[in-house]
Amino acid sequence: MSEKLEAYYGLPSKVRFCKKCTISNQRPNSTIEFKNEKNEKKQVINFNEDGVCSACVFHEEKEIGIDWEQRDKNLKTLLTQFKSNDGSYDVIVPGSGGKDSAYTAHILKYKYGMNPLTVTWSPHIYTDVGWKNMQEWMHTGGLDNILYTPNGKLHGEMTKNAFHNLLHPFQPFIVGQRIIGPAMAKKFGVKLVMYGENQAEYGNAIEENINPIMNMDFFSSDDALSMKFGSVSMQEYIDSGNYTKDDFAPYIPPNKQDLIDAGVEVHYLGYYLKWDPQECYYYAVDNTGFQANPVRTEGTYSKYSSIDDKVDPFHYLTTLIKFGIGRCTYDSAQEVRNDKITRDEAAYLIKKYDTEFPHIYFKEFLEYIGATEDEFWKTIDKHRSPHIWKEVNGEWKLRHTVSKDGTDD
Amino acid sequence: MNKIRLIARLDIKNEFVIKSIHLEGLRKVGNPNQLAKKYYEEGIDEIIFMDAVAAYYDRNSLSEIIQKACKDVFIPITVGGGIRNIKDIQQALNSGADKVAINTQAINNPQFIQEASKIFGSQCIVSSIEAKKISDGKWEAYIENGREPTGLDVLEWARKVKELGAGEIMLTSIDREGTKKGFDLELNQMVANAVSIPIISSGGIKNSDDAILLLKNSCIDAIATASTLHYNLEEIQDFKQNLANNGVKVRL
Amino acid sequence: MKIVIVDYDLGNVRSILNAFEQIGISPILSRDKDDILNADGLILPGVGAFSHGMKNLHKYSLVEVLKDYAKTGKVLLGICLGMQMLLDESEEFGNTQGIGLIHGKVIKLPTKDKNNEKLPHICWNEIEPKHQNWNDTILNSIPLKSDMYFVHSYIAEPKDDTNILSTTVYSDYRFCSSLKQGNVYGCQFHPEKSAKIGLEIIKNFVNIAKEGKSV
Repeated sequence: MSEKLEAYYGLPSKVRFCKKCTISNQRPNSTIEFKNEKNEKKQVINFNEDGVCSACVFHEEKEIGIDWEQRDKNLKTLLTQFKSNDGSYDVIVPGSGGKDSAYTAHILKYKYGMNPLTVTWSPHIYTDVGWKNMQEWMHTGGLDNILYTPNGKLHGEMTKNAFHNLLHPFQPFIVGQRIIGPAMAKKFGVKLVMYGENQAEYGNAIEENINPIMNMDFFSSDDALSMKFGSVSMQEYIDSGNYTKDDFAPYIPPNKQDLIDAGVEVHYLGYYLKWDPQECYYYAVDNTGFQANPVRTEGTYSKYSSIDDKVDPFHYLTTLIKFGIGRCTYDSAQEVRNDKITRDEAAYLIKKYDTEFPHIYFKEFLEYIGATEDEFWKTIDKHRSPHIWKEVNGEWKLRHTVSKDGTDD
Repeated sequence: MNKIRLIARLDIKNEFVIKSIHLEGLRKVGNPNQLAKKYYEEGIDEIIFMDAVAAYYDRNSLSEIIQKACKDVFIPITVGGGIRNIKDIQQALNSGADKVAINTQAINNPQFIQEASKIFGSQCIVSSIEAKKISDGKWEAYIENGREPTGLDVLEWARKVKELGAGEIMLTSIDREGTKKGFDLELNQMVANAVSIPIISSGGIKNSDDAILLLKNSCIDAIATASTLHYNLEEIQDFKQNLANNGVKVRL
Repeated sequence: MKIVIVDYDLGNVRSILNAFEQIGISPILSRDKDDILNADGLILPGVGAFSHGMKNLHKYSLVEVLKDYAKTGKVLLGICLGMQMLLDESEEFGNTQGIGLIHGKVIKLPTKDKNNEKLPHICWNEIEPKHQNWNDTILNSIPLKSDMYFVHSYIAEPKDDTNILSTTVYSDYRFCSSLKQGNVYGCQFHPEKSAKIGLEIIKNFVNIAKEGKSV
């Protein structure tokens, strides 16, 4: 007798894995984060009729269907439109000094002759290696940077709400991160904002891949007070008496029309240059003094990806809980697509590392969100979707895995 | 002063030679047997094959590569990565390797080195030490291809492996590995001064100038290089000639 | 042409096999008495401890067979430990008896214990003639001071120094790096690991085996 298991978040009730990489059909697409509602139905990655995810489909196209020489020409044409000749900044590169932004900013300056201003939306809590890499980005990479750190009290409270209400502690962070590029562009009178990676790499709707300009809805809200942070609206935070609208300055997006009028354009370098995250790592080490994590990053096998924020491991823990997809799955899926490892090898690594609990910064994280361990686990367990998790002898186990050794496989 | 050996280090993943930085990353740079043969013909003194992903997948899978390499390459061959027990060593030697390099299993169970050197002889056992600087004058030993810290002090561990019967030490600086920024001179000097078994320095070399600087500073017996060769930064004969011109004895 | 490599569970035989195959010969690996005695050329390989090597030779009853082979006048080459075992005895791990084909003793390489005089001696090092030139020996046509690959901590000291074919210096000590007594040869270094020069030595060995006589 097969149980009809409830699937939270409107996720597909049948768990399937991509035939080529390791991602499952539970992977959500990026959403408009400041509208992120509790229990809303998630848009997930698409699988075609051959059971292949859209990230892999896009990757195939990247390998054979795109004329990269032409794209490079397009890039040069684009940059010519924006290049300054009076020494002023002509492109904003948002990023934290991780491998992707290190690559993006450096290559724009030293190969394509632009004058970038890098802008950093501060990680919640910088790791030692993350801070060092950020500094090296400037000192060794030879770049200018503005580090924007939001009010920690508010940011912490929003993160706490996001953790408990959405099991998505990064939600407030992402709101700010998406805004900072265009916001700084407007402030500095710069028209071009260049991000690194194209989200389509990770399986967002294929149509977006053709138009490189990011969907403007992602970073404009016309009614700021209704913006939600951790499922709590700005109005509610203000009504609590602890905050005023002033405190929300970092999160209020620029007016969409203002941006359009100012001629601000947002592009992805990944559209113009063939993107390989691991090669960004090599480039960053060679050019911007980047160092890998001294130890293996918890929850995965690698040392070079997303290593600057102590809260980061908890982001991946929550994706594991909600979608059954941990950091190792994300990392390995990317490396399978870029031909670094095979799907079988990825499956082995996922089995080994995906469910590893991030101990190193656990205490700091609890302190940051002002929660006890009990409260932490209560929230975690509340968000385990029955169609993904099964409790077996007091332990939670995945029903389905890439290696087909889940409880229901 | 003895002739310094120049060793080609080939890190392998499946059927490719890869080149990492800080022992991270799987960038493919060539075919193992083709490169081994090329370097042999160009005058390299030894070859080291390291299974770069043995730590990931809990196995050493270089047998086929070694067997093939031995047919074309008539210089000493060392195999490392995932050597976990006596059987693994036997298999490596049966495939044609002359020496095995052991790290993770030695740290997890130091008696393994003692046992192995008794059975196969010290000259067969290379202790591979991965070192990461943690503070002034202190380095920590890592395992699992530079992934997991152990809390062990590198100097203490180097002394211990000598007592246990290792014939050589291959000392890799994780901080310098793949960066082409030169050797960690302090690290090499410290270990070379402390132990009286041959030391192979690995990690950080760009070209022969780095080697000359290292040799001026410490009593190292062999230099392992990867980036120099895989990225064609210098020809082997030019490398050796530059060493010879600077007073370093080498096999020409 | 029958080249036999003594199989007594020691030594990196694959490399030796490959070296012969590289020059077009397919040796057999055997511990069978008849195979050995009927060989045109015999290789005694060896890596590791003297006592372990002798133990295995005794285990397979090979000591007398090797002595009998040597009496035939056909060529025998001991490599590394294989060379050391040809002597009377070794002081490694206490005194152990060797095969005794060549009078002399195996002792630890004396080093001055300075920092760069380490043991084992793992090194490419030069070989030089002791008395005679190398014509018609396994070192025929090998350039003087050629570098060979050494990896050992012990050395053979033949009593009769006319048995010394080449010498090598390590830690200011000049030791016997190869020996010859009639048809019996020994190399402390590994010709199968000494690149192209080493392969020349293997070729010379085969030529001597072909001629089937002692010099």
